[in-house]
Amino acid sequence: MITYYTKLAFLSLWKTRYMSLLAVIVIAVGIAATMTTYTINHMMTKDPLPSKSDSVFLVRLNNWSPEAAYRNRNEENPPIYMSVQDAVNLINHNEAQAHIPIAGFKDMLKLPEQSAVDAKMTFVRSSTTDFFSSFEVPFLYGSSWPKSSDDSGEQVVVISKKLNAELFDGQNSVGRVVQLGEHQYTVVGVLDDWAILPRFYGESMRAFKAPRDIFIPFQTQLNLELWSSNVQAFECWKDPENASVKALWASECVWVFFWVQLNNELEKQEYMDFLQSYVEQQKALGRFQRPTLNKLQSPTEYLKERRAFSTDSEIAVWLSICFFALCLLNAMSIIMTKFQGKAGEVALRRAVGASSLDLVHQYTIETGAIGLFGGILGLVFTQICLFLSSQLYTHLSKDIMTMSGELMASTVLLSILSSLVFGMFPIVKAINVQPATQLKSL
Amino acid sequence: MLRMSKLAKTYRTDTIKTRALCPFDLEVKQGEFVAVVGPSGSGKTTFLNITGLLETASEGEYWLDGLEVSTLRDKAKSKLRNEKIGFIFQSFNLIPELNIYDNVEMPLRYRKLSTAQRKQRVEEALEQVGLVSRQKHFPAQLSGGQQQRVAIARALAGSPAFLLADEPTGNLDSKMADGVMSLLKEINKQGTTIIMVTHDLDQATQASRIIEVKDGVISEVEHCAQEIA
Repeated sequence: MITYYTKLAFLSLWKTRYMSLLAVIVIAVGIAATMTTYTINHMMTKDPLPSKSDSVFLVRLNNWSPEAAYRNRNEENPPIYMSVQDAVNLINHNEAQAHIPIAGFKDMLKLPEQSAVDAKMTFVRSSTTDFFSSFEVPFLYGSSWPKSSDDSGEQVVVISKKLNAELFDGQNSVGRVVQLGEHQYTVVGVLDDWAILPRFYGESMRAFKAPRDIFIPFQTQLNLELWSSNVQAFECWKDPENASVKALWASECVWVFFWVQLNNELEKQEYMDFLQSYVEQQKALGRFQRPTLNKLQSPTEYLKERRAFSTDSEIAVWLSICFFALCLLNAMSIIMTKFQGKAGEVALRRAVGASSLDLVHQYTIETGAIGLFGGILGLVFTQICLFLSSQLYTHLSKDIMTMSGELMASTVLLSILSSLVFGMFPIVKAINVQPATQLKSL
Repeated sequence: MLRMSKLAKTYRTDTIKTRALCPFDLEVKQGEFVAVVGPSGSGKTTFLNITGLLETASEGEYWLDGLEVSTLRDKAKSKLRNEKIGFIFQSFNLIPELNIYDNVEMPLRYRKLSTAQRKQRVEEALEQVGLVSRQKHFPAQLSGGQQQRVAIARALAGSPAFLLADEPTGNLDSKMADGVMSLLKEINKQGTTIIMVTHDLDQATQASRIIEVKDGVISEVEHCAQEIA
């Protein structure tokens, strides 16, 4: 019977094609508005690292002025980043499964054989090899640098797929050399497509930007004294001894985000104990003169505290849902008008033996088909809206404006289900006609 | 085969109560050809709709093939309509976007028959009305008489015990009307019980029995075809 009902549904859709098309468009517009806002909101607020959301933590130590709390807040909260010396100390203590300092700078990038005019200003991320394993970064060619490169500060780089395409035409560039400012680095790995959203590990205000295109060991940045004050946010409660980079490294200025991987509650507790002893040790050395406030913060907690997501996007989703409901009500009235014209056919089918349930099945397939087409057209509209949004908000990562396969399927499913729900009233109204009166009026 | 006892129909609104059919008793035996006559608005169609289970009587009992049907639920009534009753309407009531085959097949679709069984029955019914060669045509491509023959084929396809015809020749010219009447008589001869509402006394006299409905009162009319002719 489903084949028969489907045939009847398509004949009916064709017979009332303008009205059906109108219903499809109305649903599609509602779906597009909802799914565009939902997609952006979902991509902004989703768990960036679902498999490790319980095992990756930002380390926060209350290293600040003895005179005033960090940012003079009533409720004291430790800084979100730490000084170079603390980052290096924590790495050297090696108490966590993985240590991931997040630092960076900018410099001119080119191939050694290129002239200086071909160099491009490039933002560089510096971290450890743990960055790639802990954050599950996929590689196209090669791999991350070895642990020894972290220890010695070797001049090696991992580059993004995009940069590899620009510099090496997408060829395997492992072993090739790039020049960053005055220094040359050997490529050890090329990343595959990698879109981590929100990009939780650095500044929360840049959480919706794409990851950087070039990565070097943290120790290399330290060794080569690479610093761009206008790239990296830093805060100092006490000025460095002098203006040199070396003095900055040795200062109490905080600017390095420091993440660790701790695989279970026990490891987390042990690490908290370690931090406590570390801070006490530093206090004995005259540092950390404020109350001890050690924190291990998950990516989601950190982003929430930093208000990385605006509540506006959530409000926009609710508004678009209201708009969708209005569209569905409109579609319902169109379907009702469409079905009113079927009173004669309903009466005839009842006369020849169709039960109410038979007719409910028949017209449910028709409204489902309207929902299906509305969903597919809505998906197309959504893609257009997301594309336009990505063109409008160029400062945001394009990946925010991208629908996953699951979201696409959900879009069509949502359209079908909502059409079925909102189509039920017109169906019930249509099949409740009195066959006797309708047959006579035909 | 069909027995109605003290059956009556009253329409009620908030303020008005209208008696459409006064209580009546009626029995129709298998193979009869009954004509129902009467002026417009007298209750003929109401009688036919109750007989065809499209409306429910307000009072009384209605036995169809030994089954009391007035208290049946919707699904059971649909099944009875599908299996025992065939309808022929004045305005043919064919679905324009379905071809002749699909129109005739419609009642069989609700009977869960196989494709082959449906095909056989549709072709037999179309053969009976002489339109087997037109099964791929659409209703708009046929004349009024042919459309009514398709409607008759649709009614016959389910091999019903009853054919209920509501002014089946009302929209046809006299030549086509004669053709349809001949066909109905032929079907009746093969054993199908027919109850036909008509305005046309000439056609009524071709039936074996005439019932008159006047102001909601149903009465039997004694007739002799030869005398009236």
